Amino acid sequence: MTELWTTTPGGYLIVLAILLPLAGIILSFTLGGRSAERVALGSTPFGLALACAIALHVGRAGKPIVYVIGALEPPLGIALRADGISAIMLITTAVIVTAAALYARAKFATPDGIRESRSSLIFWIMLQSIWAALIIIFVSGDLFNLYVALELLTFAAVPLVCIDGRPETLVAALRYLLFALFGSICYLLGVALLYGAHGTLDIPLLAQRVQSTPVVWTAAALMTGGLLAKTALFPLHLWLPPAHANAPAAASAVLSSLVVKGSFFLTLRLWFYVLPGLSADQAAMVIGCLGSAAIIAGSVMALRQARLKLLIAYSTVAQIGYLFLVFPLATGAQSWSAMSWSACFMQILAHAFAKAAMFFSAGLLAEALGHDQIARLGGAARVLPLTFLTIALSGLSLMGLPPSGGFSAKWLMLQASIISGQWFWTLPILAGGLLAAGYVYRILAPALSDDRISLKSSPKRSQEVLALGLAMIAIALGFMPQTFSDILEIGRPIAAALP
Amino acid sequence: MTDLFPILLVASLGTPLAFLAACFVKGWRRQVLALQWLAPTPALATGLAGLTRAPLTYDLPVSGFTLRLDPPSALLLAGAALLWIIISAAIWRDRQPDNRWGLSWLLTMTGNLGVFIAGDLVSFYLLYALASIPAYGLFAFSDDGERKRAGAIYMAFTILGEALLLLAFAMLIAGEPHGSANIADVMAALPTSPWRDAILGLIIAGFGMKMGMIPFNGWMPLTYSAAPIPAAAVLSGAGVKAGVIGLLRFLPLGLPLEGWGDALVVMGFLCAFYGVAFGLVQQNTKVVLAYSSISQMGVIMAAFGVALVKGQAGAALEVGFYAANHLLVKAALFLTIGVLAIRGGRLSRATYILAALLALSLAGLPLTGGALAKIATKAQFAGGAEAVLATLSSIGTAMLMTHFLICLATSPSGAAQECPAGFVPLWPGIALGAILLPWAFYPAVGDISYAFEWGTLVDGLWPVALGVGLALILRRIDRFLPRVPVGDSIVLEEAAFGRLLGIGSSFKALDARLCQWSAACVSLLLITLALLAASL
Repeated sequence: MTELWTTTPGGYLIVLAILLPLAGIILSFTLGGRSAERVALGSTPFGLALACAIALHVGRAGKPIVYVIGALEPPLGIALRADGISAIMLITTAVIVTAAALYARAKFATPDGIRESRSSLIFWIMLQSIWAALIIIFVSGDLFNLYVALELLTFAAVPLVCIDGRPETLVAALRYLLFALFGSICYLLGVALLYGAHGTLDIPLLAQRVQSTPVVWTAAALMTGGLLAKTALFPLHLWLPPAHANAPAAASAVLSSLVVKGSFFLTLRLWFYVLPGLSADQAAMVIGCLGSAAIIAGSVMALRQARLKLLIAYSTVAQIGYLFLVFPLATGAQSWSAMSWSACFMQILAHAFAKAAMFFSAGLLAEALGHDQIARLGGAARVLPLTFLTIALSGLSLMGLPPSGGFSAKWLMLQASIISGQWFWTLPILAGGLLAAGYVYRILAPALSDDRISLKSSPKRSQEVLALGLAMIAIALGFMPQTFSDILEIGRPIAAALP
Repeated sequence: MTDLFPILLVASLGTPLAFLAACFVKGWRRQVLALQWLAPTPALATGLAGLTRAPLTYDLPVSGFTLRLDPPSALLLAGAALLWIIISAAIWRDRQPDNRWGLSWLLTMTGNLGVFIAGDLVSFYLLYALASIPAYGLFAFSDDGERKRAGAIYMAFTILGEALLLLAFAMLIAGEPHGSANIADVMAALPTSPWRDAILGLIIAGFGMKMGMIPFNGWMPLTYSAAPIPAAAVLSGAGVKAGVIGLLRFLPLGLPLEGWGDALVVMGFLCAFYGVAFGLVQQNTKVVLAYSSISQMGVIMAAFGVALVKGQAGAALEVGFYAANHLLVKAALFLTIGVLAIRGGRLSRATYILAALLALSLAGLPLTGGALAKIATKAQFAGGAEAVLATLSSIGTAMLMTHFLICLATSPSGAAQECPAGFVPLWPGIALGAILLPWAFYPAVGDISYAFEWGTLVDGLWPVALGVGLALILRRIDRFLPRVPVGDSIVLEEAAFGRLLGIGSSFKALDARLCQWSAACVSLLLITLALLAASL
């Protein structure tokens, strides 16, 4: 077992992956102005390469790679670990951050003649901060360290919401900040309880030490509540639609596809890595029910929105709901557990790419048409064919039609619910698909009609291609080979129920 | 010599896909779409070659997809491919539909041909969706309110059907002990599956939606009257056969299954008579044909039902033949509407006779393809109540077809513009082909000499004659018949759906309530407490 607490070959890669965006942030601060953009754009390819290198190492070794900071073994020191799920999330994050950075160049390039503009500088620094925070969340093996990363994530995400300074964006950002802080406090309380009871915050060590005691349960409940608030699981979603709908398109894409997944990832770490021993069937059921409610309520609300960006934001509320079905479906060591586990990550990935593509397209539409009212999209597909192709393809994935990542995720989830005898989860899964078809139809059907519409400005081809590229990835995920599930299983503790 | 047949099988799907891929090159797009009538040629060859071969299952490398062809699917594949070739060629010879329409056409064609040869659950689901969803673009991209309505209703039933099938397929694969998605494997595991009844119910409902089974029949008349004639021809001919192949593949034929079989027989005949009854009160020829499709698909369902009850494994080919005949005749009938509309008033007697032969072929007029279709399914409809009901349905079909011939005198509005003029010189060939081609295929199904026996001829003739007579009498009392809106029950379903939409506003109120600070904080507290309570 000591191999969990000693640096393995390739462990330095994790450190590099964290240091890269951190160095980027510091460089951007010191150089300022136009350099911030250059630093951010310049570092993304390296980040992607590092993520791939980590994935390769993990895949080859078949076990997590570890780096112990300062060679101090936990519980004294802190260990960084990249397992299968970290590797997959690192790659996803790198791809989407890269796409967002390229997409944002049009809006957040420092204008000529000005040495430095506030909004550009903030955007590029915050984008790198989000990236850094996510990387730490994906590889850290220590609950307090994870708390710090979670805070960094929130504090980097909030400024992106109100970056253009309009009053309603400030309100949205404040809402987001305050509610996220509530979440943080809950999480921190839980961490403190665990530390008090077991004297360590290292995940594998804790997993060995925790017992099914009231303290542990209180800690788990508090931490989960906090994390759910940050993930905007229904009915804790009050902050998400205004925040995601008011941010600039590039930021919305990152917030919707990555930032909420950060806190969700931590929830997974908590239940499947720290507390796999708790017999948590009922808790899992509670979370599953909330997820189902999110699917239905989020989709219905998406159907009723007048603004495209709000529709997409409510669709995020719904799509997040699917993720939480993993809790009732993947606990225990049964045959369907691995299936649900892959389904959950397939859903994370499919939603990340499809939603980023959606938000990019919504941004393009808003600029080309001067508004984002769905009722006034009549005939828009004739003048913006590429953008609507993107919306259609990502819509395909959101609805769960094949071939797409969204389909693969639902296909596996449905199978898992049937095999496990929890057939009732099939109802929200299917209903969510139908409702999603409804809201995608609401966007596409008028746009494809014969009406005439005039463009204010024609969209940038490069941005359209970026969005289409992401949507294509969401589709291509439908052809993911079996190795995807195998990688996800690397380093996943198999539950052995405690007394 | 290596067997080229698997290559041909792959090419039947690969060629339309290659055409689709070529559409991504902007410079080629127009040309590719205009030449898409060539895309189904390998499928036609495959279908013809596969008629007399042993069933073939072929695993595609890398993708994990499986292709499968047996004589019933070969029959449908050949018929569908032929239809797509003729209609596409005629359309693009005369006019240049815009790319949006052309692409919808190509996508529908790809899915439609593919669904007959898909051999695993995932590719079947994919191609089935492809055969259904893009067809929306063939008639609903319009600013006309009625077309938009038809499109929305079509889409709603399509997506609902897809959802039911998705659940059925997930149950099918869950019941397969080795996790194989191959249709042959999952069907082998079906009889012992714990979810057998749920699966069968979902399969029948899901594919029934595609086939216009009541109460899901309302979309069909709306769609066919909204669709331009060539599109209506392929949708009614080849499109609904996606539902037939679905039942063919996913009903455990050969395994006596009384309950479900009886249910299917009852449902099938119900649809058969329902279609006739509601078709007789319609005046628009396109709508009449749609109701005839509802009725004919009902007969097919009833045949499947009997086959289930009696455990007839051979029924697949026989019912497949019935469906293939309907495929050719129904498409030809739609084209008849267009051609007669273009030619206008002066029609020769020969034209009328040909149109009448074509229409009555559907009712099983002796010596037409329809008579063969009836003979092919005699094993299903022999003796007992089934035989009586089948004869009654023949009479009904003859009535409906006579009604159609009478209504042909007034063309639906726009029919002349919808139909490319190229069909006019082709039409006699198409009509004769639809009547006679089944003769060429029949030897693969059964003994052809039976069709010429005196008893068979009489058995075929009198229901048709009776039906024609009844229809002529009915015409006298035409003005006493009630007027039913196109799509009958759909009006009620739309109203119910509208009522359902009202729930949305209560969701909105709930959401507004939950999005207040106090509510959100209370929710957070409650969730934490609920999780704590879960430990007790």
